Amino acid sequence: MNLRRYRLLVWKEFLQLRRDPLLLRLIFIMPVLQLIMFGYVVGADVTHLPTAVVDHDRSATSRALVHAFENSTYFDVVERPASESALLPLFDGTRVRVAIVVERGTDAALRRGETVPVGIVVDGADSKTASVAGGYAAQVIAAFNARRLATAALAGGGPVLDSRVRVVFNPSLRAVNAMVPGLVATILMISVMSVMSQAVVRERARGTLEQMMVTPISRADYLAGKVTPYVLIAVVQMTFIAVVGRLWFGVPFHGDLVTVAIGLTLFTFTSIGLGLLISLVSRTQQQAQQMTMFYMIPVMVLSGFMFPIESMPAPIVPLTYFIPLRYALVVLRASFLKGSGVMDLWIQLVAMLAFALLIFGVAVTRFQKRLSE
Amino acid sequence: MGAARRIGAIARKEFIHISRDWRILVGVAVLPLFQLLLFAYAISFDVRNVPTVVFDSDKTVQSRSYVDAATNAGFFHVTGYVTDDAGIDRAFDRGEARVAIVIARGFGDAIVSGGTARASVLVDGSEPNSAELGRTYALALNNSFGRAALVSWSAARGATRSIGALEPRLRTWYNPERSSADFLVPGLMVVIIMIVTVQQTAVTLVRERDHGTLEQLLVSPLTRSELVVGKVLPWAVLGFIDTIGITAVSIAIFNVPLRGDVAVLAVSMFLFVLCSLSIGLVISAIAPTLESANLIALLISFLPGFMLSGMAFPLASVPIVLQGISYLFPGRYMVEIARGVFLRGAGWPVLGGQVLALAVYAAVGLGLATVLNRRRA
Repeated sequence: MNLRRYRLLVWKEFLQLRRDPLLLRLIFIMPVLQLIMFGYVVGADVTHLPTAVVDHDRSATSRALVHAFENSTYFDVVERPASESALLPLFDGTRVRVAIVVERGTDAALRRGETVPVGIVVDGADSKTASVAGGYAAQVIAAFNARRLATAALAGGGPVLDSRVRVVFNPSLRAVNAMVPGLVATILMISVMSVMSQAVVRERARGTLEQMMVTPISRADYLAGKVTPYVLIAVVQMTFIAVVGRLWFGVPFHGDLVTVAIGLTLFTFTSIGLGLLISLVSRTQQQAQQMTMFYMIPVMVLSGFMFPIESMPAPIVPLTYFIPLRYALVVLRASFLKGSGVMDLWIQLVAMLAFALLIFGVAVTRFQKRLSE
Repeated sequence: MGAARRIGAIARKEFIHISRDWRILVGVAVLPLFQLLLFAYAISFDVRNVPTVVFDSDKTVQSRSYVDAATNAGFFHVTGYVTDDAGIDRAFDRGEARVAIVIARGFGDAIVSGGTARASVLVDGSEPNSAELGRTYALALNNSFGRAALVSWSAARGATRSIGALEPRLRTWYNPERSSADFLVPGLMVVIIMIVTVQQTAVTLVRERDHGTLEQLLVSPLTRSELVVGKVLPWAVLGFIDTIGITAVSIAIFNVPLRGDVAVLAVSMFLFVLCSLSIGLVISAIAPTLESANLIALLISFLPGFMLSGMAFPLASVPIVLQGISYLFPGRYMVEIARGVFLRGAGWPVLGGQVLALAVYAAVGLGLATVLNRRRA
């Protein structure tokens, strides 16, 4: 490898980027837009759900229960219809997303010591609301029961279960705290892959690749020169996300930078390798673009970036082990939130190393072969 | 008459382009179905078998029954036992466990003698969705265990005592079985169509410009708007066919109910395809190169198009500014319509406004695209 040639190639690549000012601007708008979207939309905590209450019981107990719902930040009681038949139009018009129905005789049955159902109706057309509202409601009711239980044990004697449920590492359960570390890896993948996958196809489509090959530039020079600018850009993007996430969104960082750096470096190599592979197998830029999308969408879904892997059906879970992003996410989230170090995360790091060697290796050999054709 | 023939010729040329490149066809025909299957199978909203470690310093019948009660619901899955706090830290740091159940010494005694039995459940919050569920399950577990302990303590002393409790009974309207396909498919088809159509139209005009063939087209008798219409027509047709395919698959394979007015769905889907196409055309008028056209299309269709459609993330909980911005993207109207027609069984009276919004959007969008493309020339 020749350092001077390499420098010139990097310079050429930057010049080419500058030619398309929009592209350059986009490269920097992208992380901002992603931060806004992921920080404020995906990371939004679903609270203040518009709620209707149908209280058939009208007792002190039912009022206390409704009060408990009102006091939680999850529910805003906005309607109090007299009967359940009035609920349907409220749901149809999306005026409310949740309804709580307290049956007549609830108070009396509780006094008799029975287990009394409380109706929680959630809007099943809105998946996220439906999935979280039931849980929130169960928590409010559990707290209500716990108070009754404590009072009963106090009054009549008997064992008291003092069992605290404590959330560690992210006690406020803010979604954004898990989102931002994940975003650092995801944006690396998106930006490196979408630009890298275009890089070689473009040169080939324009015929400039052949011109390049008749110059004294070696293949290693060419490859390194091609890759460096995009890696630099990705580093700038990642730093930006991490800093804004830390300062603006208040995401904690408990880990050490070394672990993060090792993880990201390994992940960068897999992303470059994949981008290059796509670039080598596609004939036109549009194909490259499409293959990148084809790869990225399942990866975003299956890596655990947006949806927890635990909630995936059992036959799908083994597939997730083939996704490098999965390991990168574990490393980043664990080091941001839990302060895990290299020793804790060695399995993930080794997995990423294996992927990096395999993918980058295959990409480079294919690249060599392709050029000698 | 001449205009129609020229548009037809351009449309045919575009079709030939498409059919020449099987990869594009795959992208248009196979990719959407693949995405649909992937999302509908892979995403589910119930978390089960969360890896759990137990640190039991009591080791009595009572402490074991507490752990059993925890695992009975199917949420906590005990993967290991540790003997000190450091073991919990290690399991959390390595990601081997997401929940730890800690039982203090004297737990069993307290349950038998009527004292205070101490335990705690630690939940790893680095995955907020499952942590939230973990908290819910743990609280419910504590209630039922505490209640049972109190009742059996009283029974042991010859007293019958029962403590009433409330029990949440969840009903999910419009999707009583909580099938994840029903949750996702109506929103998903909107997003998939948007991604495919925006992407494809964004590059068609840029590619002609890049290849220098745009100038050749412009010296032909074609007018600018004829060119735009001819270019868009094939994609509109393909987009609409995609929609029909996705709908058919959703109903046939995933048994997603189609409860409302099919006419509303068809009309609005057609309008929606036009809206997405107009976004693609505006991009191709603005973008100087293929790369930037691709990147803008990716950004627009994926970020605001998907995220601000309300498909996966409820718009009511995002900041008000972003809620305002969401009106600038057609996804939000169409997701509302698709959910209304598929799940809520709605028709014109409820959804008329949204359909109208789409119609206005399509008209304005296509107008803007034509103007911008003309200026570009």
